[in-house]
Amino acid sequence: MREFFQSLPPWVFIAVIAHAVVLGTVAYLILLERKVAAWVQDRLGPNRVGPKGLLQPIADGLKFIFKEDYRPAGVDRVLFTLAPAIIIVVAIISIAVVPLGGVHQKTATYDVSGAADPAAAALARVPNGSTVAVGPIIAEEMNPEQERRVLATVTYEYPVQVAKLDIGVLFIIAVLSLAVYGVVIGGWASNNKYSFLGGLRATAQMISYEIPLGLSLLCIVVMFGTLQLDEIENKQAHYWGIRGIPLLPAWNVFAQPMAFLMFLICIHAEANRAPFDLAEAEQELVGGYHTEYSAMRFALFFLAEYAGMITTSAVCVALFFGGWHFPGLSGPDPVHPEVTASMGLILLRCFIFFVKVMVVIFVFMWVRWSLPRFRFDQLMMLAWRALIPLSLLILMATAVVVYAFGPNDRAHMRIGGKMALVLLVVNIVLTGLIMAVSRWLPAAPQTNRKMRIEGSRFETTPVAGATV
Amino acid sequence: MKDSDVINLKEPKLSLGDQFYLPQVKAGLGTTLKHLFQVVVKNKHRVIQYPEEKRDDLPVEEGGMSLRTYRGVHRLNKDEEGRVKCVACFMCSTACPARCIHIEAEESPWADREKYPGKFDIDELRCIYCGMCEEACPVDAIELTHEYDIVGLTRQEMIFDKAKLLEIFDQTVEKEPM
Repeated sequence: MREFFQSLPPWVFIAVIAHAVVLGTVAYLILLERKVAAWVQDRLGPNRVGPKGLLQPIADGLKFIFKEDYRPAGVDRVLFTLAPAIIIVVAIISIAVVPLGGVHQKTATYDVSGAADPAAAALARVPNGSTVAVGPIIAEEMNPEQERRVLATVTYEYPVQVAKLDIGVLFIIAVLSLAVYGVVIGGWASNNKYSFLGGLRATAQMISYEIPLGLSLLCIVVMFGTLQLDEIENKQAHYWGIRGIPLLPAWNVFAQPMAFLMFLICIHAEANRAPFDLAEAEQELVGGYHTEYSAMRFALFFLAEYAGMITTSAVCVALFFGGWHFPGLSGPDPVHPEVTASMGLILLRCFIFFVKVMVVIFVFMWVRWSLPRFRFDQLMMLAWRALIPLSLLILMATAVVVYAFGPNDRAHMRIGGKMALVLLVVNIVLTGLIMAVSRWLPAAPQTNRKMRIEGSRFETTPVAGATV
Repeated sequence: MKDSDVINLKEPKLSLGDQFYLPQVKAGLGTTLKHLFQVVVKNKHRVIQYPEEKRDDLPVEEGGMSLRTYRGVHRLNKDEEGRVKCVACFMCSTACPARCIHIEAEESPWADREKYPGKFDIDELRCIYCGMCEEACPVDAIELTHEYDIVGLTRQEMIFDKAKLLEIFDQTVEKEPM
């Protein structure tokens, strides 16, 4: 058994732990959401089940499990079952490419006696998914039974991340936009006009908000010249300062505040959260796409919303808040601050990452209980008339700045303090420019036009010859 | 509808900041954050922990409730000799807008009145607690008490019969004399 566990590559453990943490956090996020809602409204929130209401998620879960799994007449059975599965899988799977705590360096000694090529034999035993940093160093020694043994010492590194993907950012965008299929299929399969409308709204919203989401991501990708999330994270692990005195951690949020803001708005839309929750607007659509769902199927939709929040917040933290980076958590090597041999430091970094994600999720909740829902035309206007032009402009400006200030050494491409300052100024100036220009843009068509209700006594524009 | 009745509202002209949403969003977020801090840090909230704390125990200024005019569950009053006061005149069931009072009159065993209620059922789930029965009663036999926490596991249980209504009188007479 021990052998078996030792033969497993590290990402298996990381995947299991990350999965458990995400699912456990999701349950408690629901409690947190109810608490935040209560606090914002001068209430206390659930406080009866267990101490301070901390067992409430377990009670909720039990209720979901024991409820009747009701399926209304006329639903498309296959799609009705498939929709919650799609949405939860998509929400959970994208956490796989998010780097959680830098790179762990481990030194292992293998007994390779009897192998024809000891170096190759040692390399074969290095866990899958890790890279060899030093070695293998071959040494011979005599063990207590006076047998000659060949030992190979290998120092290998593995990223604290389930899958180190070269196209991490692309993967995230691709997978997150699949989530809308769950919403649309769920709405369509339910055989309910409200659900269907919810699904339709979700598609239009997703198509509109994918664009500024991708463009604001691209600002960061252009800066670092890589799509790898872990590399983007690692390159934020230094400081900006004056004359060598570090003042500010080199997190992208300080260099690209507007890109961050647009990204934040877009992930709100992506996660179908207020003020962009038109797909499930309970006041208009009686719950939208999940109206017809009950019991665990509904719970999957519900959990997927929160799992999606965790994932998008994790991406947000990785891209804009330096991921695991926090003053004092860098490794010994200044060129590769992500590499560390200490497991404690890795855990501390994961904790820091978790805390940052929680802060972003708190912002999600805070916004939900502060802002009213957009009207649909306002939603579209925000995307097409504000976010897309602004993100396009900032992307172009970023490209110019990177061309002018970018380092020639692409391997250690980091953002210098000067470049960051220029980017910050560019962000602010362009935002001001868009604000100023937007006044002279052609006005949108008037939305609340007076409609003729012919023949009705509420007719406001009387027809000629009609008696009022 | 006449044309003169129609009021056309003009959309207010938005300032530059309003057009950009963000200043307004910031103001809104500030308001909610202020309330959040008030609850979390200063423990200033508007919650009454119901079964332990009750509104009737608090002064009205602190969110309490005055029970003086509160209309709760009914009771059937008894006279000095412990007999039911009701004379089965049907005034209450006639006045009842929810039709929740069902009386079956019988000949009174006592000399001072002709009838008395053999059965007197009130469906407490149908009742809208308007107090019309109390107003209509010529002998002040039916009254609404200040008790509001009545519960039952079935609908049948919530139809209070004469015995139950007289029992409520016994329970509440000290707190709320006739």
